[in-house]
Amino acid sequence: MLALIRSEWLKIRRSVIWLLLLVSPGLAGLIGLFGVREEQPGGPFPWLIALALMTALHAMLFLPLLTGVYAALVCRYEHAGGGWKQLLSLPVTRTRVYIVKFLFVMGLVALTQLLFLAVLLLIGTAKGGGGAIPWSELLGSVGRGWLACLPLAALQLAVSTAWSSFAAPLAVNVVFTIPNMLVANSADYAPYYPWVQPLLAMMPHQNGYDFGAFTLPSLTLLSVVMGSFVVFFLGGWAYFARKAV
Amino acid sequence: MNEWILETNGLSKQLGGRAVVNQLNLQVKQGDIYGFLGPNGAGKTTTIRMLLGLAKPSVGSIRIFGKDLRKERLSILRKVGSLVEYPSYYGHLNAIDNLETVRRLLDVPRSRISEVLEIVRLTKDAKRAVKGYSLGMKQRLGIATALLGQPDLLILDEPTNGLDPAGIQEIRELIKSMPREHGVTILISSHLLAEIEQMATRVGIITKGQMIFQDSIEALRRQAKPTIRISVSRPEEAWRMLLAKGLPVDWDQTRLTVGEVSDRTVASIVAALVQQDHDVYRVEEERVSLEDIFLEITGGEGSL
Ligand SMILES: Nc1ncnc2c1ncn2[C@@H]1O[C@H](COP(=O)(O)OP(=O)(O)OP(=O)(O)O)[C@@H](O)[C@H]1O
Ligand SMILES: [Mg+2]
Repeated sequence: MLALIRSEWLKIRRSVIWLLLLVSPGLAGLIGLFGVREEQPGGPFPWLIALALMTALHAMLFLPLLTGVYAALVCRYEHAGGGWKQLLSLPVTRTRVYIVKFLFVMGLVALTQLLFLAVLLLIGTAKGGGGAIPWSELLGSVGRGWLACLPLAALQLAVSTAWSSFAAPLAVNVVFTIPNMLVANSADYAPYYPWVQPLLAMMPHQNGYDFGAFTLPSLTLLSVVMGSFVVFFLGGWAYFARKAV
Repeated sequence: MNEWILETNGLSKQLGGRAVVNQLNLQVKQGDIYGFLGPNGAGKTTTIRMLLGLAKPSVGSIRIFGKDLRKERLSILRKVGSLVEYPSYYGHLNAIDNLETVRRLLDVPRSRISEVLEIVRLTKDAKRAVKGYSLGMKQRLGIATALLGQPDLLILDEPTNGLDPAGIQEIRELIKSMPREHGVTILISSHLLAEIEQMATRVGIITKGQMIFQDSIEALRRQAKPTIRISVSRPEEAWRMLLAKGLPVDWDQTRLTVGEVSDRTVASIVAALVQQDHDVYRVEEERVSLEDIFLEITGGEGSL
């Protein structure tokens, strides 16, 4: 397993992924920088408002999109040069290969989340909120967002291993990510929609976002997220384990 | 307790509703250079995929190093180097990093990388991204990758694809030297008999998924006996006359041929013809090349 991780690291180290990591935290940062106003001039920095504002863009759009991109990228260099057949004719099990690919996708999502948090902290402290950072809310939001990406990552990895095209899984991802804002309004459907789960998970409660699915208790969401993650991951793995290369 | 280093038993694969590989019994001995021959679409690549565990057989079993591939895949593959169909590579990495991704999974010393690059003569270009390589250079890299783990068995699917004549020559010499120097066994597929002929010790020929010949290269050569062809003014009459004298000639309505080609037989035939006032236009030897035999046993749709 460690050997596989080290091998995978070498492939990813020199790829374009690193630039992509900066996209979402960067854009969210701009919003935070120019969009957030203190309630009174010189008053405390409104951390949760900033989080809600930045999350609206990051978790609704970029996080699901990037999760799909990461999944497609870790498969792209295998599809492109016949890498699968070389990799799978080495002494490795398919299960481990699949797990390692998934770990890398979730690792990249984690890095994205950390960068997002770093940008938020940077803006907040720069604007004078350094004294009263609501750590548990911020860390909770970022952590829940990561968890909520599990089913989506599993789904996108399954699609990306199955289709040798790079663009097709991404197109699917875009098509299903765009309606996120509409879906979020529906308390009935949203919890079961993998693309909107990061948004529901990251949005701080009681900040004007108390409509639609945003009022769902986080435990409900967590069980749906975990349940669908298990289903998607096992499905993708079972397919990959049998796939003729 | 088995002399075969690679053995398949009734190996079959159904694809798209038909048997692409059908009841194949491959048998490869330690130290063999086994030429796996067949025309395009015969099922060579499909077979090789199954040998490497990339695709599952519909029926049949595979034993490599005396172990069942289904049960001991990892320990078998550790000692098998392979190149399937076209070379695999990560275009954004250079040759050294490409080999390193594989080395980390095989756990061989780092020095192996420069050794194999030297063997396929890529040392000079080793630091360039592989996406800028020519097909032949990628092919060399693929061969280097196959050699990286110091395998006991090399499975190469058309390894000289895309190589220039000098490259083909080099790879051929390399392949010939491997059993001698490192005790490696090699299975090499091709649709060109001429290419295999010069290095193989055994050949297996398949068409339409079925093995139609499997034996030593000498046994194949023995089928390539020369014949003598004679053109005369009145062939049919000549044939009757020669047969009546007990000489071994064949007449197929167009050509008069002699299967047995000792000088003595040919001399008596010519003498008899001249005595009976036949005009002898030509007496020529026809050599059936291995290529012709290949074409014949594969049913004519054979190699290019
Ligand atoms: N996925 C598939 N579905 C259906 N038929 C397939 C599939 N893959 C291969 N075939 C068929 O199997 C046959 C054997 O293909 P294979 O690639 O093994 O031939 P080959 O002997 O390697 O030929 P070549 O010399 O051209 O490389 C071909 O007729 C091909 O059309
Ligand atoms: Mg082939």
